[in-house]
Amino acid sequence: MPFISKIERQSDYHLFPSTTPIVIDNGASYFRIGWAGETEPRVIFRNIVQRPRHKATGETVTIVGDHDPALLRYFDCTRSGPRSAFDSNVVYQFEIMEYILDFAFDRLGANGSRIDHPVLITECVCNPVQSRSKMAELLFETYGVPSVAFGVDAAFSYKYNQQLGVCGKDGLALCPGFTTTHVIPFIDGEPVYKGSCRTNIGGYHITDYLKQLLSLKYPHHMARFTWEKVEDLKMEHCYIAQDYFSEVRLFQKGDKEAEDKTRCWQLPWIPPPTEEPPSEEEIARKAAIKERQGQRLREMAEAKRSSRINELENELHGLEFLLQQLEHVEEHNIPSFLSETGYVSKQEIESAVQRVTQSLRKAKGEPKGDQAEAEEKTDPATNERRQLFLKTTSEGRQRAKQKRFDSELERERKNQQDEEKRLENPELYLEQLRAKYKDLSEKVEQRKRLKTNGNHTNGNNFSGGVGRGERLNAAQRERMRLLTTAAFDRGKGEDTFGARDEDWQLYKLMSKDNDDDDEGPDQDEAEMARLSLRLQELDPTFVPKSEIVTSQPVELPRLRPLTKEDFQILLGVERFRCPEILFRPNWIAVDQAGLDEMTGVSIRRLSPVGQEVEERLTNSIFITGGSCLFPGMSKRLVAGIRMIRPCGSPIRVVKASDPVLDAWRGAAAYATAPQFLTQTFSRTDYYEKGEDWLRRYQLRYTL
Amino acid sequence: MELDVVKAELVLPTHLSFKQVQMYEKYPKGQSRGRHWKHLKQILQAENYQNFPADEPTYVNIESPPSMHPCKKICDITGYEAPYYDPRTNLRYANADVFKLVRSLPNEYVQRYLALRNAAVVLK
Repeated sequence: MPFISKIERQSDYHLFPSTTPIVIDNGASYFRIGWAGETEPRVIFRNIVQRPRHKATGETVTIVGDHDPALLRYFDCTRSGPRSAFDSNVVYQFEIMEYILDFAFDRLGANGSRIDHPVLITECVCNPVQSRSKMAELLFETYGVPSVAFGVDAAFSYKYNQQLGVCGKDGLALCPGFTTTHVIPFIDGEPVYKGSCRTNIGGYHITDYLKQLLSLKYPHHMARFTWEKVEDLKMEHCYIAQDYFSEVRLFQKGDKEAEDKTRCWQLPWIPPPTEEPPSEEEIARKAAIKERQGQRLREMAEAKRSSRINELENELHGLEFLLQQLEHVEEHNIPSFLSETGYVSKQEIESAVQRVTQSLRKAKGEPKGDQAEAEEKTDPATNERRQLFLKTTSEGRQRAKQKRFDSELERERKNQQDEEKRLENPELYLEQLRAKYKDLSEKVEQRKRLKTNGNHTNGNNFSGGVGRGERLNAAQRERMRLLTTAAFDRGKGEDTFGARDEDWQLYKLMSKDNDDDDEGPDQDEAEMARLSLRLQELDPTFVPKSEIVTSQPVELPRLRPLTKEDFQILLGVERFRCPEILFRPNWIAVDQAGLDEMTGVSIRRLSPVGQEVEERLTNSIFITGGSCLFPGMSKRLVAGIRMIRPCGSPIRVVKASDPVLDAWRGAAAYATAPQFLTQTFSRTDYYEKGEDWLRRYQLRYTL
Repeated sequence: MELDVVKAELVLPTHLSFKQVQMYEKYPKGQSRGRHWKHLKQILQAENYQNFPADEPTYVNIESPPSMHPCKKICDITGYEAPYYDPRTNLRYANADVFKLVRSLPNEYVQRYLALRNAAVVLK
C-alpha cells in the first residue's frame, strides 16, 4: 500500500533552530508535515476530521486523521462522518483546517508558546485569494507563525525531479490528484500558469465510481464496500488499458486471457453444515434415550393412575360409611346430621356414590357396569336425541363418501378418455393439451393482473414497486367509484333516490361482500395444475409457467442455498473501466477534456512559443500525483498524446521518482535554500500590502 | 476516557500551548457550529474574476474546455461498447443478454445507474 499514515509524536522539535522552516504538503487526500532539508515528512495522515460523541461521557470530541478502527468503538460516529476542509481542491472550511493544523503541529512536537518557524505550505494552482488569505490569517493569528510561503505541489514535484535529472527545464507536469487533474507547462524551469489547465476529476471520482459500480453489481454485499476498502481495491487492482475498447472486447468474448485478468475477492463465507447420516451408535443411543423417556412417562402415568384409584376408593368408602350411618339416624335428625358433611339429602349422596364408582371403573379401565347401562336405559329422551344425531351424521358421512366416490369415478373416466385420445393420436393430443394449458394460464394470469391491477409504469415487471393508485383491485375500485358518485350526485335538483326499486341495488353493489370472486379462478387453477401434471408426464420439455416467472435473476440467490460463489466479488471490466474516466471524464458527466487531451489544450494555450519549444515540452512530459500510480499510465499517455501532436514530434513520458511524496520532498528541498526567506511574507507584509498583492503573490521556483 | 484511547492520543486536546487563540475562544460553544463557510462556488463568485484582464490565469479560466474527441458510449451495466439504447429506461446496453437484465431491473437501480453519468431523473 503506497499510503500509510505516520502519526507518532516527534520529540526533537526543540532541536531545530527557529530559522528552520516547517514544510507542509496540504493535499486533499493526505496531509504531510516535516522539516525543511529532510527527505521524509515527519507526520502523514489523511486530511479528514471526525467529531464523534464519546459513548461513555457523551462529550463531543475531535479526531483528526484516520486511526485504528478498533479504537473508534468507544465513539458514536453515526451522527457525523469524516469531514474534509476541501471543496474540490480549495480549502474553504477553516475550522476543520485549524483542527488539522492543531493535530499536525502537536504531533510534530511543538510545545512552545507559538510556532516560531517559517512555514511553506502547498495550495492549488490559482488558489482563490479568499482561501489564500484565510489560510495566511490562520497561520499568523492563531499559531503566531513569523512568515509564510505558498507554492504549488505539482511544481515542487517537477522541480525536485528536474534536479534528479528525470525531466528537463522545459516540460509539462501532469498531475492527476485526488479531486482534480492539472497540466502545468514549465518553461525555463518556471511554471506558466497561463498555459495550465484543470479538469475536475481525480482519484476521488475513480474510487467513488468503483464503489457505485460494485454496490450496483452486488447489492447483497453493499455494506462491504466501505470507502477505505474500495480505495484499497482501486490501488491494488485497477490499471489503465492500452485501448479500452479492444480490452473490453476480450472480456466480451470471455477469452482465457480475460479470465486471467479477472480478479476475485472472496468474502468470508462459512459453508452451511452438511447433514451427515447419524451412525449406528448414535441411532442406538437415541433410541435408548427415547425408550428410557417413554418408560419414565409410562411409570409416571401408572403412579398417577394408582393414586387416583386410591383416592376414589377412599372417597367411595367414606360415602358408603356415611350412607350406613344415615340408616341409623332418625328421620328428623337427618338435615342436622348432613349439614356437617356438606350434602343436602340422601339422594345426593347416592348420586355421588354412583359418580365415584363410575370414575373408579374408568380409572381401573373396566367396561361400563350394568348399573350404568341400566341408567342409560332409564333416560330415553337423551338416548333418542343421541341416536338422531348419530343417524344424521352417519348419513352425512355416507353422502360425502358417495360424492367423493362419484367424483373419483368421474375423474377416472376422464383420465381414461384422455388416455384413449392420447393413444389414438398422441401428437394431436399433446398439441391440444398444450393449447388448453396456454389458454388457462393466460386466463389465470389475466385474472391475477386484474386483481392486483398491475399496470406497471415502465414495463419493468416483477419490480414489486406498486404506486399509490395501483393498490386497489378492480372490484374495489368499482366500489370506490360508486361511493364517490353516490356522494357527489346529490344536490342536483330533486333527490329521487329510492323512488325506484333498482336504486336500492346500489347498496348491494357497494357492500364489501362481493369482493371475493375467487370461485372461478380456483377451479381454473386446479384444472391448470392437473394439466401441467399431465404435461409433465408426457412431455419432457415442458416447463410450467409459474417456474419461468420465478426464475428471475434478481431473486435467484434467495431460492437456492447460498454458495461460495455468492460471496465472491469479481473485478473484471471494472479494473480498467474506473481509471478510464481520467481519460474520458464524459463517462461520469464531467464535460471536460481528458488527461491526454489536456496536454494539447495546455500547449495550445501557450500558443506562439514555436515548434522547437513545443517539441521540448512534449519531450519531457512528467507525471506525478497519486492517481498516476495506475499501471499502464505512461504507455497510454504516449499513445494518447501521439494522436494529438503532429506526426514525428518527440514524445517522452516520465514518471516522478515517487509520485506521492515528491511534492513534499521538493518543497522541503526548496525551503532549505538561503533565498527561501525572500519568497516568504510576514504578518506585517500581509496587512500592509493588502489583498490585491496577495492575489498576485507567486513563488519563484528557481532560486 | 478509556486507557487505550488515551494512550493512542486519539482525541485532539482542547488546549494547545502553541496557539495564540484557542479553539474554544474562537468558536465558543453554541454559536460556533452554526458558522457558515462559503462554498467554492460562492468563493469564486466573490472573487470578481470578470474585473481582471482576460489573459491573467485564474481559478476559473484554467479549467479545461469540453473534450473534442467523439464520446464513445459504453454499456451502463457491463462497460462494453454500447451500440444500443433503451428508450424506456434510457440505459445504454451492449447486447441482448444485457437488455434482458436492463428490463428486469427495478426502477431504483435504473436510476442509480443513470445517476452515475448524471442522467437520472431528479424530482424537485
